[in-house]
Amino acid sequence: MAQVKKQIVEQLVSGDISRDESRNLLKMDPKDPERFWTYLEVLQERVSWKDKILLRISDHLYVVKKEETGERLVKCDCGHELGDYRANWKTSTNIRIRETKEQINKVYYPESAAPEPEWNEVREFFCPTCSSQLAVEVVPPGYPLIFEFLPDLDRFYRDFLGRPLDDENDSWYENHTDNRTGQWL
Amino acid sequence: MVAALKGTTGTDSNKKTIAYKISKRDELTESTGHYWGIKEFTLKRADPMKFERFYSRLQSACMAAREISRYVAASPGGREMGEAVWGLATAEGDSVALSEGFVSHSAAFPYGIKFMIENGYEDNPGFNDADVYVSDDGFSCGAPHPGDTYTYVPIVRDGQVVSWACAVNHIMEVGAPQAGSWAMFAVDTFMDGFVCPPTRTGENLKQYAWWDEMWKRRTRAGTMNILDDKMRLAGCAMILKSVHEIIDEFGVDYYIQASKEVIEESRRVVKDNINNWMVPGTYEQSSFRTCLYKGLQKIWAHADKDSLIHIYMKSTIDGDGRIHADMEGSSKWDYHAFNAFPGGHKVAMMMGLAGALGYNSKFTSGGNYMVSSNLPEGCIYNPGTHVAAHGNGWAQMLMVTLQGYNMLTRAQFMRGYMEESFAVCGPWDAMQGEGVLDDGTPYGYTQFELLGASAQGAYAYRDGESAVWFVASQLCNMGNSEEFEQLVPPLFHLGRKLEPGYCGYGKFRSGMGLSTVQWVNEPGQRLTASRAGSSCAIIPELAVGLMGAYPTPGATVAVAQQTNLQELFKKGISPSTLNELVELHEEGTLKAETLKIWKSDAQDTKLEQDDLWCQQAGSGGGWGDPLERDPALVEKDANDGMINISFVEEMHGVVLIEVSKAIYKVDIAATQEKRKELREQRKSESIPFKDWYLKHREERVLKMDMLEPIVEMLRSATSFSAYNKHYRGFWHLPNDFEI
Repeated sequence: MAQVKKQIVEQLVSGDISRDESRNLLKMDPKDPERFWTYLEVLQERVSWKDKILLRISDHLYVVKKEETGERLVKCDCGHELGDYRANWKTSTNIRIRETKEQINKVYYPESAAPEPEWNEVREFFCPTCSSQLAVEVVPPGYPLIFEFLPDLDRFYRDFLGRPLDDENDSWYENHTDNRTGQWL
Repeated sequence: MVAALKGTTGTDSNKKTIAYKISKRDELTESTGHYWGIKEFTLKRADPMKFERFYSRLQSACMAAREISRYVAASPGGREMGEAVWGLATAEGDSVALSEGFVSHSAAFPYGIKFMIENGYEDNPGFNDADVYVSDDGFSCGAPHPGDTYTYVPIVRDGQVVSWACAVNHIMEVGAPQAGSWAMFAVDTFMDGFVCPPTRTGENLKQYAWWDEMWKRRTRAGTMNILDDKMRLAGCAMILKSVHEIIDEFGVDYYIQASKEVIEESRRVVKDNINNWMVPGTYEQSSFRTCLYKGLQKIWAHADKDSLIHIYMKSTIDGDGRIHADMEGSSKWDYHAFNAFPGGHKVAMMMGLAGALGYNSKFTSGGNYMVSSNLPEGCIYNPGTHVAAHGNGWAQMLMVTLQGYNMLTRAQFMRGYMEESFAVCGPWDAMQGEGVLDDGTPYGYTQFELLGASAQGAYAYRDGESAVWFVASQLCNMGNSEEFEQLVPPLFHLGRKLEPGYCGYGKFRSGMGLSTVQWVNEPGQRLTASRAGSSCAIIPELAVGLMGAYPTPGATVAVAQQTNLQELFKKGISPSTLNELVELHEEGTLKAETLKIWKSDAQDTKLEQDDLWCQQAGSGGGWGDPLERDPALVEKDANDGMINISFVEEMHGVVLIEVSKAIYKVDIAATQEKRKELREQRKSESIPFKDWYLKHREERVLKMDMLEPIVEMLRSATSFSAYNKHYRGFWHLPNDFEI
């Protein structure tokens, strides 16, 4: 089974990969089954903290296993923690809303292609520490947050990867978003 | 629909009926998890070379059918663009082999076959070798919209239907009150145009005379539609002939059993791909589509309103690698053209996934068995009534495609296969209408050059390409502008090119979308046009951008009427993109009595000499935080004339200096300063989510302070219990709160 060099995965992650190399990866059939582990290794080396990365869910965000407590948290590569991964991590961000024509036109070009205010608000979600833009939603006002992905980590590691996690529990695959928002009322 | 299929008991004669075969397939597939219960590849194992040679013959038959018969068509859609496919299906309707083209449309084959069986066609009129059946009805045959027309030719051996030669193509005009290929305004299905359930239209590979008359009588492009019909049938005839030869060589029993093994083999490849590339869990995705009917007419009061359609998918991947798309929470069906039926939804769901999950396999229906959906009765994908219009269900169903595909692309990113990950998108646009030439000849048309060539969304590691992507097909093609000008004689292209800056922004950007400017010259006695297409600029096609980038901008139409174009021509001036036209108008060079910019569907408009119809479509979404974009890429875009300098300064925080005319260089120090300033702005202009939640809940949600179509959409979505629980749960609404 073909292996992809760690150096290539590093280039892929950093966006420095050449067209030829990325084309080689696209042509691979079958894909290299060890990629996930190489990917984790590369990602782990790029962050300054020690918590074990279980899954990369966005350019900046990871589900990690917190060393001290055993919790599974969403963590930004800057080190900011956004809470239990079972609650939508957007609830732990800072948010900026674009709702006027002038505000929306700053992020869509040309103006003729820009979404219309009143029908939409542009929600930008930032990491409270490093201010990276983690997500953008363009939705009507009053619309609930979109929980982009709730992973079934136990099943992933056991059934898809064949390396079960040592803290498996059915409760890891539950949506806790409403619990978090409920605490605020 | 009857509850049970006739002829499903296992007597020897009944075992040859399609009803029995469908029933047995379903029973065995469900009980074993394997297609037709095939656990062992008996034939493949016994003689692998024979097995591969067998499949190769089937596949070649389909490819040859396409490559030859498409030249029968008169429309660029069928001949050059990817808007057609030929296939060979089992007696039950499952595809064994397919040509190139919009292959996922084959996912509807089983719906049409099943409809015929459930409604007694097997006895009346019965199926003979080389009969011809046609349908374009979403309710009965699963067509995504009535413009997609299906042909089925039964292949009979040893007293049983062993296969169907099938074809589908997107015809140019469907004969609805609103002319063109996709009726954007339809109150119920009786305004969808010429729609027929599976109908025997010919025998011995020859259409009945009345069938040609039907196209002429009930559509505005009879000649073109007849040629498309002949094109589909010609390909089916080639497949039928080939299949008989293949059966002569391999035998009927081998043919039937090997076909099942081929499908099961590809199902397993797709299953393995899901296991190897994806991550189990729950993916939530939303899209919105406007339907602005208020004030359009005074006859149908029940359709006189503006609506916002909710396209909502909560999809799961389980431990067995099965994908389940739960659409509960999508809008209820309504009196508009945007409804769909389960067959169409299946086509939409498989449109992206079929190619992406099955590219390393034999291309069959096998993958369809790994994907299921929940379409509650009454929702926009399962109206539960035959009267629902679906003239342009596709305009919102494309979002289903994108949601499904984005689930895959997100998963591949998480697995480390970043090379495959990109922001999937596909906001296409088309111009349609009717006219009367000077000599009194009436005609209808669809000009869909901006359907088949969108930009690619940004990749996780590089920018997307322009005009290379068509979510529906491997065959990305705009058709030739000259041909479209022949189809619609009064239209002449003044421009047809990339629209600079029209892309989704992020760390990586999408390719640029396209724009066309068409000049109305010698419009004859009359010419009208309207817009058909998916996402309009008023609302992006997907609600979430990828990884901090902005979602794909939608499509726009601009119509300038009563212009001073002749004067501009004398000065050597003419707009070549929609944005150029707007700028020429703003600076006063282009004068127009009216300039209407449509961010929603352009309504039927009567066009006159020197009017201009401009389209902007086919952009894509970005990837990642825009402030992380490499300044060198911004500099390159600037020097390629592909971006607006002041816009990208605010978007990316990259300051460019013009070192000579139209040659730019990054000012590194100013860029560092600008990025610092924009990051500070993020801090000062944002608030903790909790604060926003409490305020928004109090001021907007509890007061339902939003446009009426949004409130109506929420009412519609929360009429389904699961979404009602979801919506009320997120905002913690009191039990007695009424939306």
